[in-house]
Amino acid sequence: MAEDRQPPNVTEGATAAGDVEEEMQPKSAEDRKAAAALSKLDARGDDESAAPAVDNQLVKNAMDALGGGGAAKAEVKKVKVDAADVNLLVDQLELSKPKATELLKAHDGSAVTAMRAWLQPTFA
Amino acid sequence: MPQVLSTREGNLFRTVIKHYEDKQYKRGLKAAEQILKKNPKHGDTMSMKALIMNAQGKTEEAFALAKEALTVDMKSHICWHVYGILYRTNKNYDEAIKAYKFALKLEPESLQIQRDLANLQVQVRDYDGYVQSRFVMLKARPQIRQNWTALAIAYHLEGNLEQAETTLTTYEKSITATPSKTDFENSEAILYKNSIIAERGDIERALEHLETAAKNSLDRLAVMELRATYLAQLGKNEEAVKAYRALLDRNPEHPDYYRGLLGALEIPKDDQTSLKAVYDEYAEQFPRCDAARRLPLDFLTGDAFRTAAKSYLSLMFDKGVPSTFANLKHLYSDLLKKDIMPVLAEEYLSERKSSAEVKDQSKADSSKGEGAALYFLAQHYNYHLSRDLTKAMDYVERALELDNSNVDFHMTKARIYKHQGDIRKASLAMDHARSLDTRDRYINSKAAKYQLRNDENEKALETMGLFTRADTVGGPFADLTDMQCIWFLTEDGEAWQRRGNPGLALKRYHTIFNIFDVWQEDQFDFHSFSLRKGQIRAYVDMIRWEDRVREHPFYFRAALNAVKLYLLMHDKPHASNGVNGADGQKGDAAEKKKAAKKAKKEAQKAEREAAEKASKQDPNKASSSKTKDNEDAKKKDDDPNGLKLAATSTPLEDAMKFLGPVLEFNPKNIDGQIVGFDVYIRRKKYLPALKCLKAALALDKDHSRVREQVQQFRSAIDPVLGSLPPQVQEIIKSEFTS
Repeated sequence: MAEDRQPPNVTEGATAAGDVEEEMQPKSAEDRKAAAALSKLDARGDDESAAPAVDNQLVKNAMDALGGGGAAKAEVKKVKVDAADVNLLVDQLELSKPKATELLKAHDGSAVTAMRAWLQPTFA
Repeated sequence: MPQVLSTREGNLFRTVIKHYEDKQYKRGLKAAEQILKKNPKHGDTMSMKALIMNAQGKTEEAFALAKEALTVDMKSHICWHVYGILYRTNKNYDEAIKAYKFALKLEPESLQIQRDLANLQVQVRDYDGYVQSRFVMLKARPQIRQNWTALAIAYHLEGNLEQAETTLTTYEKSITATPSKTDFENSEAILYKNSIIAERGDIERALEHLETAAKNSLDRLAVMELRATYLAQLGKNEEAVKAYRALLDRNPEHPDYYRGLLGALEIPKDDQTSLKAVYDEYAEQFPRCDAARRLPLDFLTGDAFRTAAKSYLSLMFDKGVPSTFANLKHLYSDLLKKDIMPVLAEEYLSERKSSAEVKDQSKADSSKGEGAALYFLAQHYNYHLSRDLTKAMDYVERALELDNSNVDFHMTKARIYKHQGDIRKASLAMDHARSLDTRDRYINSKAAKYQLRNDENEKALETMGLFTRADTVGGPFADLTDMQCIWFLTEDGEAWQRRGNPGLALKRYHTIFNIFDVWQEDQFDFHSFSLRKGQIRAYVDMIRWEDRVREHPFYFRAALNAVKLYLLMHDKPHASNGVNGADGQKGDAAEKKKAAKKAKKEAQKAEREAAEKASKQDPNKASSSKTKDNEDAKKKDDDPNGLKLAATSTPLEDAMKFLGPVLEFNPKNIDGQIVGFDVYIRRKKYLPALKCLKAALALDKDHSRVREQVQQFRSAIDPVLGSLPPQVQEIIKSEFTS
């Protein structure tokens, strides 16, 4: 299983690496032990190999029952979108490219319909 | 091609990682250097070194090194992973996701990378990707409940409620032993499932599930509340009544419970006597209960209201409850109630006078009895719906005659001055109130706020400094920023703006903007933490709250100020040049400039003093184990006075950063739409301008500024219409008809 092959790797950790933490240098072994215990305080055995109350075979069956990853996806309408129209929307409405594409798709690729719909107040 | 290290260096490499994880950066760097001495082109070690450097704040060098590491060892998942982490800490999430995905391609079994990727996907709300990542993680470790719950959450957030429920159920079926009653994770997971069933709209089944599976949940209150809600929704009124009564027995102060109970009892809305009877029952049962006595005032009318209000007021005045007025002012939208309240308070006063026995008692505690009634009346006449400032002053003076050392009375006096328009006097009065109780943080903040209204930024900071942590590097202001004290930053910015210092004003608004960014960033910790702790209902609430965090009025106010200021800077670039007043009148431009210069000097002086103070404090700091050197280095602001912000040559583009969320999250606020139009029309973005205009017209078509903008749009569009793309012309012609 994956756990014994986990590569020697880096941890992102709870505190973002970008925050410059104080460089703590525990003085004695005791301090270090305390620090280690403290950091484990909230951990709930993320890496326990198996929770006792679970039947592995049942879990396996359950996994199978669940089916493939991200199984049923909502059918996405296939609409052809003209790149020129996307650029028009990006330029005129100040939308990002994906947003503009999405908007066009929702309006059957018609730039005018899409822009008109976008123009309407979102409330009331 | 993998680069192999000797055993000794392999061990050394592991210590590098360990040092990094323990945040012992200096040691980690040392060990990394040792490896690199022998293997100067070892990609993984170079990456680790880059990671440590990044953690020390040397971002650019870190990126350069990480890139170099990639060129020496393209096929190392560690190098790619590190590259992703660097992007992620610098908030370039899209690139980070790409790098993680690449690392994962090289090392598909790495749970670590998969987890980092998943957290990033939920952070950027790529629910599709999150579901997939979570599925892979579940497949790798199906024994752990967390992974099942996490997949359910992923489906839930994606909007696939059915799959979410199925996932949870599937796991439940695979448990062999019944979880113990104190298993918190289990209890939360069951309630979470219940909330999903309810969200699917199947209340009947949710109720059944609640009464069976969640019966022994550890969150008993949640179960009781949900049960009452479900019963009421299903029209099972008899049981709902019981459920609500059980809740009221636990907490008779919760207005929602009363509302639920009255609804389930099916009492007609206009049957005041019966409604009141329900409340009376609880008022009697709980003699100290406030809600049961106060809430009926909302619906009672006429004589019934008069009687109830009178007895309520007498009770509050006798007790001396300072918040009495604040608790009742919502009634003032009803004209009759608004007129009765002062009469009742006066009655109370005259009745007290006639019964002489209380005379000496009132001396003992001025906040009770007569003092409370006078205080109420002063607030009544100070309130905007019932304002009569002469009378308000009269009452507050009478209250002060009773007791000249009461903080609340003096505070009200200051507010009356403010409403009279005498901001200077108000500031002095509020500061006097503060001096009467120097240990009260509330009045301290209030005094600072009034000083800011009076443009006394320095004095206000001093006042705030009485309650900030004394040992913060950078002084009170740094502490207030760290503590995200937004009201102070907003008021401070507005004061600087009035004083003709757009730099500092913009600086404050940008700081507020960044605080909202921090709140968004703060989510990161919870994607894994909440799962680990099993607090998933709260987690889902948080995710939804974060999606709308910039709806907050604090954001709106600061952003609107910033956009307006940028507009001004665009319209009067010469007058501004770093110094410009809010009104920008030509007459006193020179004076403003002078004032601004002075303000700038003062600010710089304050900055210097703060720096000196900080350096004086530093020696102690350095000796303690918690060296803040790194932090300081990173925190050093290269533009503390916002001079660079004010010197911008593209104010309209800068304004967009603030404007976007304003329009997205507060579309119904007409002020936002108006400044939106102002920005877009100047930028010649006609369709977005028209969108703002249409929204504003829909909100209030008679607004004078909006009517002006209609004219403005016409005169702006007429000469250029022919040069716009034909589709745009078509839309403007059909949509802009007025």
